[in-house]
Amino acid sequence: MSERKSPYLLSMSGITKSYGGVRALEDVSFETHRGSIHALLGENGAGKSTLIKVLSGVVQPDSGKIEIEGNIVNFANPQEANDLGVSCIFQELSLLPDLTVADNIGITRPPRNKFGLIDYRAQRQIAEEALARVGGENIDPMETVSNLSLSRRQMVEIAKALARNPKILIMDEATSALTAADVEKVYAMLHRLRDEGMSIIYISHRMPEIAELADTCTVYRNGRKVETFKNGTKSDSAVVEMMIGREYSSVYPAKSTRPDVSEPILKVENFSWNDELNDINLEMRPGEIVGLGGLDGQGQKQLQLGLFGTLIGSTGGVEVNGAPVKLNSPKMAKSDDIGIALVPEDRKYEGLMLSMTVRENLSFAAVEKMSRLGVVDTAAEEMAIDEMVELLKIKADGIDGPVGALSGGNQQKVVIGKWLMTKPRIILLNDPTRGIDVGTKQEIYHLLQKLAAEGCAILLYSTDYDELIGCCDRVLVMYDGRIVRTLAGDDLNETNLVSAALNLPEQAVIQPELKKKQGMSL
Amino acid sequence: MSVSVVIARQFDRATVIAFACVIVLLLIGAMVEPAFLSPKYLIQQLHTASFLGVVASGVMLVILLGHIDLSIPWTICVGGMMATGATGFLGPEWGITLAVPFGVLCGALIGLVNGLGVAYLRAPAMIFTLGMNAVAQGLMVYHTGGFAPQDRATEFMRELAVGHLIPGIPNPLLIWIILGAAIIFMLNRSVLGRRIYAVGNQERSVFLSGVDTRKVILACFVFSGACAAMTGVLLAGWANRSYQAMGDPYLLPTIAAIVLGGTNVLGGRGKYVGTIAGVILITILQSMLSVVQPQRYFAQLGVDIPADTFRQVVFGVVIIGMLLIYGRQQLVR
Repeated sequence: MSERKSPYLLSMSGITKSYGGVRALEDVSFETHRGSIHALLGENGAGKSTLIKVLSGVVQPDSGKIEIEGNIVNFANPQEANDLGVSCIFQELSLLPDLTVADNIGITRPPRNKFGLIDYRAQRQIAEEALARVGGENIDPMETVSNLSLSRRQMVEIAKALARNPKILIMDEATSALTAADVEKVYAMLHRLRDEGMSIIYISHRMPEIAELADTCTVYRNGRKVETFKNGTKSDSAVVEMMIGREYSSVYPAKSTRPDVSEPILKVENFSWNDELNDINLEMRPGEIVGLGGLDGQGQKQLQLGLFGTLIGSTGGVEVNGAPVKLNSPKMAKSDDIGIALVPEDRKYEGLMLSMTVRENLSFAAVEKMSRLGVVDTAAEEMAIDEMVELLKIKADGIDGPVGALSGGNQQKVVIGKWLMTKPRIILLNDPTRGIDVGTKQEIYHLLQKLAAEGCAILLYSTDYDELIGCCDRVLVMYDGRIVRTLAGDDLNETNLVSAALNLPEQAVIQPELKKKQGMSL
Repeated sequence: MSVSVVIARQFDRATVIAFACVIVLLLIGAMVEPAFLSPKYLIQQLHTASFLGVVASGVMLVILLGHIDLSIPWTICVGGMMATGATGFLGPEWGITLAVPFGVLCGALIGLVNGLGVAYLRAPAMIFTLGMNAVAQGLMVYHTGGFAPQDRATEFMRELAVGHLIPGIPNPLLIWIILGAAIIFMLNRSVLGRRIYAVGNQERSVFLSGVDTRKVILACFVFSGACAAMTGVLLAGWANRSYQAMGDPYLLPTIAAIVLGGTNVLGGRGKYVGTIAGVILITILQSMLSVVQPQRYFAQLGVDIPADTFRQVVFGVVIIGMLLIYGRQQLVR
């Protein structure tokens, strides 16, 4: 063990890691101090996640060394990294849905009573303290995780990591699903933890978050480190250029001019379901991009699922192209006469078959159209797939490899591609850019405008207000299962979106901090 | 994609190991008894293997979906007993002509109930099919107890089980080859095949892609029931009669053959060629245990074990051992 006092809490150098023939990291170094928040930036596939996995013991590097407080360490597994004070919150939520919040927080080291059984009272107390630390006092430790919203689950995830009292806390996209109110609490907590001397490594695709939180930033591209700099010394566009390695124009493409069709392609009247959707009325015309706004969990997801025919017992009328339809299954919704597609919220579990090939996933929804007597016409399939891979610029070394091996952005492209192959006329998208890198987000925005220009009607739900403003012609804001306001033209701005989301009366004064929260997201 | 790539892709690691085990077993056997490598013995083994192969074909599809069919022992029995007893239901004339389709149809009906229970009522397949097994058993006991049915196999059934339509190839083997070829084509080239793998992978995604997953599940269970009954028909022809519990020795070998062949028990992954390898492996293993009689070596050491008991124990241990060596799920990172 070296005697010299290292200036860094953590120092990694010469880290190289390959998966098969693919270099994920090449001779990468990384240092961070005590009491700092260090942001890692880069597109998906730039190597950030691999670096984090090396640091947290999930994968072992091919070469390179890691020093913590001047001591060289080698992690064979995540437990060892944990023991030395490295705690990680990954992009994919790792909570067990059928256990309670307290069980999840205490899962690695539950407190025991004198019989060696789990001491539930103590565990509950630990959970309460951990939740209080992240500002989630109103989460009941005895609640089952599956009953919590995505945002609340992320709060629990953060609490769970903190309950292990780490020296180094890694957050990999751990705030992507937080609602505005929860983000505020998490920021305050992170600043406090930094002041207490913890070193926080933060990965996010949301630029304003990084601007607000980080002290230092390091940019990665293609498995190499590009530059480390102090936060605030570079402009946003300079940072983005570093990330994508090319010049960067405006994030949102110009809204396309659309064919002037007055007849709505989709008309929904008094659509209701249980208590979660109440008297929804909406009309969409070909070429329109309509946004769904509001806080998370106000019925946006249910509305899209309902229009896709998955909600049993929904009431109200739906008309497609002027003809009333009774939507009772996704199979019916995607049929040629109706032509609805849904890009669901969770691409891994609702959109893809992860261990099947990119090819099989892409053609899956439209495969009937490419087959005769139940036998797939592979030549026709191949042609359609090549076309789609080209159109969406899907980066896949082999489209015969499993789709689970692709980066998140490319996976999302596959889900979208799968639906485009059915040639839909109405496309419902549920937060399609969540956890996706800058470059891919921009490609998706361009694609949406292109589809609209070709006459598709698009219903886009997004948790990112800036995206709604940048992409949509008008935005329907939902609150408690109702559409409470429609914003279009000059009214479509952050202030109005936030106030409508909170169901405040029009022109109400919004507290400045709340506004800042929903800043630009790239 | 070239043809060789397509063929190579059918042979995954488990399949290759299973085939390698077959060869090793045969070589070991040949040291004790050279006749093990004679074409006559090998054809005879493939003949026996085809009974297992036909029932495993159906169960494999169900396992690919991520479900399981535990009703096969008594579905086999239903197939055999309904085929031999068809005259009791259809009259002496039709009963003989339609004996085979009638037996298979009865098995398919059991599969239909299984499929309705699992796909539409959302009952867990493990308990539902086990329950159906008991129901089938009860019905068969009632059938034999009530009115002394015909249990002799028809001439056609006998021909089906022991005859040779093509010289040198026993008919059951021919049936298995045709059935296997059809399944390989179905799994690789048809829409249904895609959907079977997809349901086993991620049923939610399949449903949200606008596919009626219930129909896919139903179809596989019906097919599984029909295959099991077909095995029952062949067994009845082979033994020249049907009898109670004739399917009981098939449950473990069927599932073991499928899993040893590399099919993921949780669904979504597996090649039919692997199942072929697994079926042959299990059959050769059973045959060798009865011919080589390893208990003799223990008898020389002064440990006396009855042959039957010993064979069962060794059979179970070898299956567990092989599963531990290569049948486990790969650690996914």
